[in-house]
Amino acid sequence: MQLNQEKQLQYDVTVVGGGPAGMAAAIAASDEGARVCLLEREEKIGGILKQCIHDGFGVLRFSEQLTGPEYAWRYAQELGRRPVDVLTRTFLTSIEKNGSSRDGYLLKIVNSQGLSRLETRTLVMAMGCRERTDRQVFIHGERPAGIFTAGQAQDLINLKGYLPGKRCVILGSGDIGLIMAQRLTLEGASVEGLYEIGSEPSGLNRNVSQCLEDYGIPLHLNSTVLEVQGRKRVEAVTVARMERGIPVQDTVRTVPCDSLILSVGLIPENEMLQSLAPQMDERTRGPRVNQYMETSCPGVFSCGNALHVNDLVDYVSQSGETAGRAAALYASNRSGGDRGGEAELTAAGNLSYVLPQKLRLPAEGAVPLFFRVNKSAPRGKLTVTHEGTVILEKTFRWLKAAEMERLDLDLSVFSGSNGGSVAVRMSEEGS
Amino acid sequence: MKQTPDLEKKLRNVRRSLHREGLSTVQAVLHEFSVRLSGEVGSWDEKVRAGYAAAGKGFRGVLNDIRVPGVEEPAMSVPLLRDKALEGAAYDVVIVGGGVIGCGIARELSRRDLKIGVLEKEDDAALQASGRNDGMIHPGFAAAPGTLKAAYNSRGNRMYDDWARELDFEIKRTGSILLYRSLWMHLLTPYFKRRCRLNKVDGPCRGLSARQVRELEPYVTEKQKGGFLMPSTAYVSPYRVTLALAENAADNGCDFHFQTALLGVELSSEGSSITHLKTNRGTLSCRVLINAAGVWSDKVAEMAGDRFFSIHGRKGTDAILDKRCEPFQTRASGMPSLLKRNRHSKGGGVVPCVEGNILLGPTAQEVADREDYSTDAHIFGTLVKQLDLNRELHQGQIISYYSGVRAASWEEDFILGPSVKVANLLHAAAIQSPGFASAPAICRDMARWCEDILSEQNVPIRDREGFNPVRRGIPRVREMSEADRDALIRKDPAYGDIVCRCEEISRGEIRDALCSSVPAQSVDGIKRRVRAGAGRCHGGFCLPRIIAIMAREMDIPLTGVTKKGPGSQILMESTKKEAPLCS
Repeated sequence: MQLNQEKQLQYDVTVVGGGPAGMAAAIAASDEGARVCLLEREEKIGGILKQCIHDGFGVLRFSEQLTGPEYAWRYAQELGRRPVDVLTRTFLTSIEKNGSSRDGYLLKIVNSQGLSRLETRTLVMAMGCRERTDRQVFIHGERPAGIFTAGQAQDLINLKGYLPGKRCVILGSGDIGLIMAQRLTLEGASVEGLYEIGSEPSGLNRNVSQCLEDYGIPLHLNSTVLEVQGRKRVEAVTVARMERGIPVQDTVRTVPCDSLILSVGLIPENEMLQSLAPQMDERTRGPRVNQYMETSCPGVFSCGNALHVNDLVDYVSQSGETAGRAAALYASNRSGGDRGGEAELTAAGNLSYVLPQKLRLPAEGAVPLFFRVNKSAPRGKLTVTHEGTVILEKTFRWLKAAEMERLDLDLSVFSGSNGGSVAVRMSEEGS
Repeated sequence: MKQTPDLEKKLRNVRRSLHREGLSTVQAVLHEFSVRLSGEVGSWDEKVRAGYAAAGKGFRGVLNDIRVPGVEEPAMSVPLLRDKALEGAAYDVVIVGGGVIGCGIARELSRRDLKIGVLEKEDDAALQASGRNDGMIHPGFAAAPGTLKAAYNSRGNRMYDDWARELDFEIKRTGSILLYRSLWMHLLTPYFKRRCRLNKVDGPCRGLSARQVRELEPYVTEKQKGGFLMPSTAYVSPYRVTLALAENAADNGCDFHFQTALLGVELSSEGSSITHLKTNRGTLSCRVLINAAGVWSDKVAEMAGDRFFSIHGRKGTDAILDKRCEPFQTRASGMPSLLKRNRHSKGGGVVPCVEGNILLGPTAQEVADREDYSTDAHIFGTLVKQLDLNRELHQGQIISYYSGVRAASWEEDFILGPSVKVANLLHAAAIQSPGFASAPAICRDMARWCEDILSEQNVPIRDREGFNPVRRGIPRVREMSEADRDALIRKDPAYGDIVCRCEEISRGEIRDALCSSVPAQSVDGIKRRVRAGAGRCHGGFCLPRIIAIMAREMDIPLTGVTKKGPGSQILMESTKKEAPLCS
C-alpha cells in the first residue's frame, strides 16, 4: 500500500508484526468488522516461518504436516482476501497514548515513503521473540567470526543458500538447535556434537530423535561450551561437564570446529510494548494478560511468542485469533470490559508459569490454560482452586519442562464470582 | 661520561628495590640513559613487580627484558596482505598507528600543506585500545600532579567540545562522582579539591553528602556515604571519535593505509635519522616518522633505533548493559577502595555511554599477550560486582562484554615528543588512560613538534588550501526530528528502510558507512560506524541482511564478507552448485 501523507491513517485495530500470531490476529479482527492495519518490518509477511522449511507445522490447525512457508502461505492467502492494510518494510518507531485511554494510541511509523502517524483504537502486539546470544549465556574467550544463533544459521542456509560453517558445535538443545543440526548435516557440514547444560533436552522429543539420533549426532547433557578459541574465525571451543554450575576438572576438552551455533533460549520482544509500561510477568517475559489476551494497558493486546514462548505454531495462531477478535470487539465497544472484575491466577508447586495470568469475570465458555512445569516428572496432579475451593483437578503423565501443557477451564465454575484469586498448583502425585 | 657516578647511584637504587621485592635473579644494567632489566623470574607477576621496582628512579625509561619461562610473549600480529602498493612512495610525515592519537595527529597536520600517510596494520581505525575503552573523557583528577598525564588530561578534556562541534560526534558532559565508601572520606574532600586545582580540572568540583548524591543519582547504592562531584567529565563513543578524525584527515588529503604494518626502519649511516620504512606493502620514505603505535610503540621505537622504554599490556574488560538502563545512571560513579593493592587502575565503576547503554568496568589485569582481547569467567566475575553500585542494575541486563589492552609503560606516564636520539622521530607512546581524554592536547602538541622538525629540514610549512575542519557524520535517523527524518527519507528512501531493529539503523546509514572517506570493510566496521548489530539481539536478525547489503555495495561475493577483516569470513560456501544472486 502506498502511504499518503495527506490521508490520516486511522484504524480500529493495528497489529504489530506479520508472523503467524499477527496474521491470525489481523484476520480475526477483520472478520469482526474492524478496520485493520498490519505492520511488518520485513519485506514479506510470514515472520520466522519463512525460514522454517522443515515440516511439522499445522497438525492441530490443519490436521496435516506443513512446512513453515506453507503454513504461512495459507494465512497470507486468507489475509489477502480481507480488507486489511498490510504495510510491509514498515517500522514502528514509537507508541504514545492518544489523549485519554479510550481514544487509543498514536503510532509513528517509518518506511521508504517517509515518516507517518497512525491513529488506532487498539493494538495487537505480535512481535515474536529474539534469540539469546552467546554473550547472554556468558561464553568467554575470543570473539571471532563463526558464532551464530540457530536462527541466523537457519536464515543463512535456508534463505541465502550459504553454509555458515562446515564443522559445527551446537550449544543448547532448543528446537531450532536440533533442527539446525539436521539441516547442517544435510547440507554437507559435520556436526561435532550438541551440548546441553540441562539434564534433559529442551526441545521436543520428536526433534531429538529425528534430528540427532537419526544422524548419529552425539548429545552431551549436563555439558556446556565455556570458551571460544580463534581470533579471526572460530578454531575450537572448550567444553566441559558441569556440576552445580562449575566445570568438572577432568572433563574440560577442546573440540576443534569452525563454528558455534547457539540455541540457548528465546526472549519475547516487548521493548516497544514496555514504553506503555504494562504489567509484566517475570517468568514469561511477556505482559500479564487476561483470557482475551488483553494487557494491563487498555486496548493493548499481546499474542504469540511475544506473550510467551510457544512450542507449536498452532497455539501461536490461536492466541493471535483470540487477541484480534477481542481487539475488534474492544474497538467497537462490544467487549464489556468495564463490567465485572478480574481474578488473578498464580502458578504454584512444580509450575513455572500459567497463562493467562488473569481472568475477566463473569464470562462464559472455556478458557485454555497454558502452563509449563519447572521439572520433568512422570506424573503430576494439577489442582485449580478459587478462593480455597477446588474447581478443577487433573492428573498429567510424562510432564516435561520443555513441553507446554494445556488444559481447558470451564468458566461456569466461577458462577456469581467477579474476582478473587485462583491458584494453579502442580503437585507430585504420591506413587 | 660525566653522569656516570649519578647513574651508578640510580642503578644501585634500582637493585635495592629489586632486592626488597625479593627479585634477586633480576639483573639491572645501564642501557644508554635507561635501565635494562634481564634475567629470569618465576611468574609474570614477578616480571611486573620488577618493572615497577625500576620505575621512578630517574632513568629515561625502563627496559624490561626479563624472561618468564613458560610464558610466551607473542610478537605483533602482521597482516596477511603482501603487495608493493607503497613501494617508492614518499611522504613528508608517516604516522604509525590508526588509533585516536595517530588519526588525531594526522588531522591536526592536515591543516598544513604536507603529504601525510597513516600506516595501520588492522583493516580499520580504532581497532585496538582506541576502540576498546569506555569512552570516558576523564576530568584530569586521577593523575599525580606534575605528570604528563595530569598536564594533558584537563587540557584535552576542555578541547573536546570543539572537536565534537567540528567533527560531528556526540558528547555528553554530565560529570562523574567519586563515591565515598565511609564517612571519614569526607575528610579527603579538601585534598581532592586541591588536586583538582593543581591539575587544572574544570570545576566547580565539590563534595556531596549522601543525600546530595542520591538527588543526582537516585538509583545509586545505599552503601555510599557521599561523594566528590567533578562536572567536567564527559562521554563519547571512542571509535566514532577516532573514525571522525580519520575521515576529516582523509577529506583533507591524508592517505590511510590499512593492513599495512611497519616491519623495519632504515636509518642514515650514522644512525641519527630515518630514511626509509619497510612495510608488508613495500618500502617508502618519509621526512618525519611519528610513533603512535599503542601497545607496540616500544617495538616501533626499537626499530627506529631509539629503544628506551618497554610497554606492558594491561587488559581491561567492560560489560555493556542494555539501553533500557539509560535512566538509571547519568554520571560515572565508582567507589574505589583506597586500600586496594592495584595502584594502576582507577578501580572501575558504572559508566554511562553516549549511546544510552551503561558500561561496567574496566578491570585491570597484566597480560603477556598484547593483543589478547579474550574475556574470562574469573575476571568477569569480579567485573559484575560493580552492579552493586546501582540498585536498578542486574546481570540479566548485560548484552555483551569486551576487552582492551592498555599500553602502559613502567613509569605509568605518557611518552611524548621528539626522540632525543633520532632527529626525525617523534613518540606519542605509552598512551593509556587518560589517553583518550588527553588526545586533543597531545595531537596538537605532536603536530607542532612535527612542524618544528620539518622546518629544521627546510620544509616550508604552509597552510593547506581549502582545509576544512568540519566533517559531517552519517545521519542518525533515529535521533532526528520527525520533520527532518521525513524530509531525508523523501530525498533518499534508503533512510526509511530499517535494517537493524534494535538500534533502528536504516539501509541508508549502512550504505553510507560503506562509502565514507574511511569506509567500513567488515561487519564490525559497520557496527562501529552506525551501530547496526550493536543492540540487544547483537545482529541476530540483521546479520544476514547486512551481509547481503555489503556484498552488493562492495561488489564482492557473499562469501567475501568478513566479520573483522581478512581471515574472518562469515559464510563458508554456497550450498548450491552456482552461487545464488544476493538479494
